[in-house]
Amino acid sequence: MRALVRSNPSILWFLGLLAAFCLGVTFLAEATGTGAISTSFVKTLGKTLCLCLVAIAMDVVWGYCGILSLGHMAFFGLGGYAIGMWLMYARTEIIVSASLASAAIPPTPQEVEDAIASQIFGVVGASEFPWLWAFADSLVLQLAMVVLVPGLLALVFGWLAFRSRVTGVYLSILTQAMTLALSLYLFQNASGLRGNNGLSGLQNIPGLGGVPQSVVSIAFFWVSAVALALGYLLFAWVVSGKMGSVVRGIRDNEARVRFLGYHVEGFKLFVFTLTAIVAGLAGALYYPQAGIINPAEIAPIASIYLAVWVAIGGRGRLYGAVIGAASVSLLSSWFTGGGAPDIDLGFYEIQWTDWWLVLLGLSFVAVTLYAPKGIGGLIDLVAERRAPSRSRDLGPDASALRKTEAAE
Amino acid sequence: MTDAALAPDTRPTRKRETLLELSGVSVSFDGFRAINNLSFQIGEPELRAVIGPNGAGKTTFMDIVTGKTRPDEGRVTWGERNVSLLKMSESRIAREGIGRKFQKPTVFEAQTVEENLAMALKAPRGPFDVLLGRTGASGAERITAIATEIGLAEHLPRIAGELSHGQKQWLEIGMLLAQDPRLLLVDEPAAGMTPAEREHTTDLLKRLAERHAVVVVEHDMEFVRRLGCKVTVLHEGSVLAEGSLDHVTANPEVIDVYLGR
Amino acid sequence: MLRALVLFLTALLACAAPPAVAQDSQLQAILQTHADEVADPGRRSVGPLIDDLAASGLPGIARFLDRWSNKQVFLNAGDGLFYYGARDGETFALRDIASDEPVGTAPASALEEIRPNGGVRRVIGSALVQFQLSDPDRATRVDALDALARRPAADQLEPLRASIEGEPDPALKARKERLAGLLTARFGEGTETRVAAIEDLADATDIETRAGLNRILASRSEVAETLPEGVNLARVLEIGPDLSEADAYSRLVDDGLAPAPVTNAEVKTALTANIQNGAVAGIPVEQLSDPDRRTEAYAALAASGAVPPLVTPEAQAEAVASHVFYEVYEDPDPVVTEAARSALDTIEARVARFQVLDIGLDAVSLASIYFLAAIGLAITFGVMGVINMAHGEFIMMGAYTGYVVQQIVPNYTASLVVALPLAFAVTFAAGVALERLVIRHLYHRPLETLLATFGISIALQQLAKNIFGTQARPLTAPDWLGGAWVMGDVVAIANIRIAIFVLALIFLCVLLYILKRTRLGLEVRAATQNPGMAGSMGIDPGRINMLTFGLGSGIAGIAGVAIGLYAQVTSEMGSAYIVQSFMTVVVGGVGNVWGTLAGATLIGGLQKGIEWFNPSNTLAAQTYMILFIILFIQVRPKGIVALKGRAAGD
Repeated sequence: MRALVRSNPSILWFLGLLAAFCLGVTFLAEATGTGAISTSFVKTLGKTLCLCLVAIAMDVVWGYCGILSLGHMAFFGLGGYAIGMWLMYARTEIIVSASLASAAIPPTPQEVEDAIASQIFGVVGASEFPWLWAFADSLVLQLAMVVLVPGLLALVFGWLAFRSRVTGVYLSILTQAMTLALSLYLFQNASGLRGNNGLSGLQNIPGLGGVPQSVVSIAFFWVSAVALALGYLLFAWVVSGKMGSVVRGIRDNEARVRFLGYHVEGFKLFVFTLTAIVAGLAGALYYPQAGIINPAEIAPIASIYLAVWVAIGGRGRLYGAVIGAASVSLLSSWFTGGGAPDIDLGFYEIQWTDWWLVLLGLSFVAVTLYAPKGIGGLIDLVAERRAPSRSRDLGPDASALRKTEAAE
Repeated sequence: MTDAALAPDTRPTRKRETLLELSGVSVSFDGFRAINNLSFQIGEPELRAVIGPNGAGKTTFMDIVTGKTRPDEGRVTWGERNVSLLKMSESRIAREGIGRKFQKPTVFEAQTVEENLAMALKAPRGPFDVLLGRTGASGAERITAIATEIGLAEHLPRIAGELSHGQKQWLEIGMLLAQDPRLLLVDEPAAGMTPAEREHTTDLLKRLAERHAVVVVEHDMEFVRRLGCKVTVLHEGSVLAEGSLDHVTANPEVIDVYLGR
Repeated sequence: MLRALVLFLTALLACAAPPAVAQDSQLQAILQTHADEVADPGRRSVGPLIDDLAASGLPGIARFLDRWSNKQVFLNAGDGLFYYGARDGETFALRDIASDEPVGTAPASALEEIRPNGGVRRVIGSALVQFQLSDPDRATRVDALDALARRPAADQLEPLRASIEGEPDPALKARKERLAGLLTARFGEGTETRVAAIEDLADATDIETRAGLNRILASRSEVAETLPEGVNLARVLEIGPDLSEADAYSRLVDDGLAPAPVTNAEVKTALTANIQNGAVAGIPVEQLSDPDRRTEAYAALAASGAVPPLVTPEAQAEAVASHVFYEVYEDPDPVVTEAARSALDTIEARVARFQVLDIGLDAVSLASIYFLAAIGLAITFGVMGVINMAHGEFIMMGAYTGYVVQQIVPNYTASLVVALPLAFAVTFAAGVALERLVIRHLYHRPLETLLATFGISIALQQLAKNIFGTQARPLTAPDWLGGAWVMGDVVAIANIRIAIFVLALIFLCVLLYILKRTRLGLEVRAATQNPGMAGSMGIDPGRINMLTFGLGSGIAGIAGVAIGLYAQVTSEMGSAYIVQSFMTVVVGGVGNVWGTLAGATLIGGLQKGIEWFNPSNTLAAQTYMILFIILFIQVRPKGIVALKGRAAGD
């Protein structure tokens, strides 16, 4: 641990800033402080922390291991669905039990279940629980699903994809196809997850009916912050030392790593699955704060945005991913939420709700062209100017992509 | 030369027995026969030089042994128990004890010299071994020893991409040493080296060949002569001649296709 | 009512003169001859009148018969003539019986409404069919045939047969003959006649014939303790595969053969109604959340006679087991039903073959669309190793170009002729601009190109939304592309899809020509196979890249116009096709026109095939298709048509 921090001073910086930020938010929040920050904004910040977590995972799989996965938001969504099932079941159970309790005769367990089922699945014209919901009544088992479902999907998909040596652009397209298949599947009413209605009412935590949302939001904010900190430490550990060497080696020259005797597919699978699990956990923290999840959240575009965040923040640096996710997603909600002032050009008025995506798209192109190291690259520049040391460039650079004999 | 560079190899110098054998191997690319009914064997320990004009199939030969290219027909057997290499993946073959140095140095340019060596260092190769295992004191010692051997002790914390071409060559040789393979496939080790470095390389290869099987692919006749070992001449994908350098250079066919030009 | 009023007013204006100025006519004359039968028709007596009418061959007879049976014919007591009448308040608007011209009004009191009874109406109806079937107006005849096919009846057979002879239209004549055959099969006299008619029908595929045969095979479900003798048995239903036990039991209940089971809700109601002092039959209410205790309490109530007893699952199973469930043909003649069954089987086998053809053609047209959408992508990917995520937006751009052209050029055919090359030009220019401004700077960084072009893609999509709005814009096809090519009532291909197929074919040929026969093609192929070597041979890779990128984008624009013609033009239409296009490229193999063709065919065929098995669910079809592709990559990682050897660059 000490060695990890010594070799990676950014960890301390990061944890310190995160802690300061959390304290600041707590001090300004409605439930615990002055109330300068509204509950809904605390939720937005909490959600942003979860997005930062999934962005770190994306950074590890893409920035370090070189797999441009367009499927990590799908894992994120699966985590959300897994926890959402329990939230929705348990909450509906409370409501249904309350309404059945007033009946003259106490309900049988079967009646309670039927009532819950028709309450949840009424919107898709069903009244029975699909097999998917077998464990929905158990928080522990659904929490296990948060890890297992994204993990197993990543394991199986990754095994198939890596085994057949699909790499580069091909692999990206394949992960995108997986994501598309998943979201199309979930869009069906027959999928057992309420089709395009998705799961809703997730912000109401069962058993915490009396606790105001302002408290719930700050609690989730803290849990998200802790998860982000732990995730940061985990991935900092994974990408340091020899594991980091091998993983970056795979990114830069897969064949050479293979000739050194490393089973490249195994390492890729490890990274892919581990990041998928973390993405699932991030999703499980995100959606109770968002309150609703539906298949549109899993659509390929979401995963592409994730890649955009990481690219803008700077690949190959964990803090870069955090900066990218936080800045772009907050800016995005500022612009689309009408926070940005419209610009009157005289002949045309630029309304940012309409033009934000154009701006984002073009600035993304600009970043790719002119600042391939992203915002994180600026931090490197500053750090280097202050303490010119032997550079430890962890980012992929042009030399990494130079054609080499082993790769030909 | 510190002994530490080759230290973990406690195998005694033993009687030569066949380590790798190729028989009747052929491979074609889009109708072009790169390797044509090639048979080759090398014992352990042994030093062997492979020469031949461009397009003779030297690189393809190495590709076949390391598992990068699958032959259309023929057998490739390995070790005392004559296991076939044809079904194995590249990484499995490398773990079996076949190391390769590429013609153009292919080191991980974004990483430090130390990281490059540590990655090559002989150790369990599974993801969890790598994640949880530690490069202990003995590992660090070995890295230092190898770095000294290849003249990069000063440069351990440097990014490999900043090294000169010759230094990269040495780093790649160092990685090969760190792997501690039983069979070393060395493609043009002396390219881009100063005469002193060449001598050093020759010494190193000769010393390695006391305990290991070493195959050196080389163009430079002077270098081959200094190795003073058995020579195999490849031409159009098969063995044209085999024997001492003097023996093969006397062969009229060899003179025709290679030396005579 | 409104129309009646208008007629009334018109009548008032036109004939301010005294009402009911009779216009003498032959029809009126015939009716007057049989005045008694017309005014008070009887089933038997009406025959000679109808024969006379038929013999007269007058034009208005069908109309008269129709209105007669619909109680719209009135006898004017004043002049003793017959009129068509429509009630209009207190008075009736009258029309001439022969010419259907308004002739004035008459008070209700002056008119006698003629009301043929049911039997007469039937006789009139069948006579009417005969008139309609021989009506000089083709549309009337078609209507009559449609009505006949919808509601076939035994007494229509003769009039139908009678009308075949004089039918001038060969298509209608064939249809009449077929319908006559169907009617004979269903209502003919004697088994042999019917079987012969059925056998004649076995070579048809049309829906009418299939429906007709199915009517002969109509059956009803019955249940009995033992299988009865002497019925025309269709089949015996097995419990399980054919009929669930619950359904079987409820059928027994419906037939009064078993007591109705007591539902859980009824149990609950009964228990609720019998709560006494916080307990039901001695069992405390709190314990009734246990289903077993509930059963116990209910059983106790039943024992006391307060409620009907529970029907246990065992009793239900026993009741079902002791009965036999079967279906009986409505038609009592087993020989006929047998013949109908085998004829229908023959027809259905033929229909299935047609359906396979239909699916095949559907798949071909879908494949053409995918080919058009993907070929540009395949070319750029093959030559430059670049995946253009904005390719879908180029498709969209082409479609919007078509839309804009249609706003300016009103003639649909002309606008299409303008739109196709213009879309190519617009997207070609956009492609070249993209290549020069962005992609050129990102060579050898394929993943970053993918992301940069994605940035372009979201910007273009939003831009289109800002310019054209979010709602779908129509791109209307000219009329000559509007119809469909129909074969045997089963195969139906929209002309627009045929046109797209032809377009794809043209592009296939053009591309093959460019690649195989032109200097540019040679250079492109060289750059695909070995970029380094091509460069050193003096081929300017920048120019090749620019042109291929432009070409690929231009074809996307054309594809956009084609797709826009049958789907809606929206800012998101590109993203709907982009993944399928990627799949096509991946499955087909990179850098080869034939590979893309193979990929498009496979994907199109697969999608249609899956939809056929699961026709209601396009989403599921796409899901399974993508799963298939992931597995396909396992078998052929480089696609169907793969480059081999060192050139493949693995």
